Amino acid sequence: MNSLYHGIKAIFVKDLVLELRAKEVLPSMVVLGMLIVLVLRLVSQVGDLNLGAMGVGALWIAFLFAALLAQERSFAAEQHQDCINGLLLAPIDAGAIYLAKLLVNIVMLGIFEVIIVPLVILAFDLNLAGGFGRLILVLLLGNLAISSVGTLFSAMVQVSRVRGSLLSILVFAILLPMMVPATFALLITFGINPDDMAGTGMVALTGNFRTAVGFLVAFDAIFITASWLLFGFVVQE
Amino acid sequence: MRRYFLCLSLILLVGAAWLALSVGQVDEVVRNIVYFHVPSSISALSCFTLILICSIGFLASKKSAWDYLATAAAEVGLVCATILNITGMIFSHQQWGVWWTPEPKLITSAILWFLYVAYLILRSGIATARRRGQLCAVFGIIAFIDVPLVFISARVTRGNHPGNVGFASGGQWAAFGLNILAVALLSAMLIWLRYDILKGKSQMEQQLFS
Repeated sequence: MNSLYHGIKAIFVKDLVLELRAKEVLPSMVVLGMLIVLVLRLVSQVGDLNLGAMGVGALWIAFLFAALLAQERSFAAEQHQDCINGLLLAPIDAGAIYLAKLLVNIVMLGIFEVIIVPLVILAFDLNLAGGFGRLILVLLLGNLAISSVGTLFSAMVQVSRVRGSLLSILVFAILLPMMVPATFALLITFGINPDDMAGTGMVALTGNFRTAVGFLVAFDAIFITASWLLFGFVVQE
Repeated sequence: MRRYFLCLSLILLVGAAWLALSVGQVDEVVRNIVYFHVPSSISALSCFTLILICSIGFLASKKSAWDYLATAAAEVGLVCATILNITGMIFSHQQWGVWWTPEPKLITSAILWFLYVAYLILRSGIATARRRGQLCAVFGIIAFIDVPLVFISARVTRGNHPGNVGFASGGQWAAFGLNILAVALLSAMLIWLRYDILKGKSQMEQQLFS
């Protein structure tokens, strides 16, 4: 247990220091997120579109795309001079490497969320009717789901020639079912009436805020456990 | 042996279609799509289950036979999922006036289709056979986590999508059952055929490059 903790801590600190010194991922994440928000804000002035619903869409799109930038670098950095083999040779469980990389990605996406969420709330004039606690809860659960799958697939696509595009397809396809309760919960948080979502299938699939959060927790638990257990097969020949 | 089974499944398919048309309409003309829609959905979900079994088998035993079988299942499953979505869209256009709308069952069958596509894209993106088998097996297992949601939502949730179709006569039930059997048999035969082709291709590559 102790060696697991020390292994995770060493890799986690190494990656954070690397990012703090090089500053190559987080700035591009934030700029990409801001551009996505800007484009969607331009579109949402047309006709009688629901500004609040567009804002929620903008948030998830920005999270997904920005997270891909962080995840793509996550294991690409270890390919230089076969660093990944050095990590695997270290006397720690392969799962520890996964958990450390997962923590780094969660922190990166968390910092990104702290910057971009207030921006979206201002730009789309969102009304935080559901309370601050609910917002944090949904964002955290969404972050966990996106990062857990993304970190595993990041290690997976390193053997391929088309890393980035492959990663985006895999992550988005797997996260599709998770996006339904996540979007629903965020819409409720921003005070949009469930009755207005009657034709969207989200109400029928998720029910209410409590069950939506239940779905998210279940997804997170299953994704993280499965990825942790399967990680060894991904990195070892 | 397989040739006869393949012929049998094709004859069964034509016979089942003929029987379905001769036993009268289900509610309205467009609802006859149920005879192809439901069987292909059953086959699509079964193929995904087969991928899961093959993935676990491959990770446990490292035998490439599991890998060929998973590939064959994914290809046939994609065809079934495509038929499922296209027949669904025809129904949707006739009944509701739109080609696609966010309904629970429509969302989940779209997800199923995307999972198959992602699986096959991953497969085509990796060059070495051994790594390909291993990574696709991992993806197959992770992707299967999404499948219970597809299945449960299709049974449980409400919406405009018709639920259990009430067939008027025993003849219609027989036609329905025969269609399920025919599509399942055809899928199984196609998987078998693809499996042999993939196996032969790999053996040929080994002989050429060794």
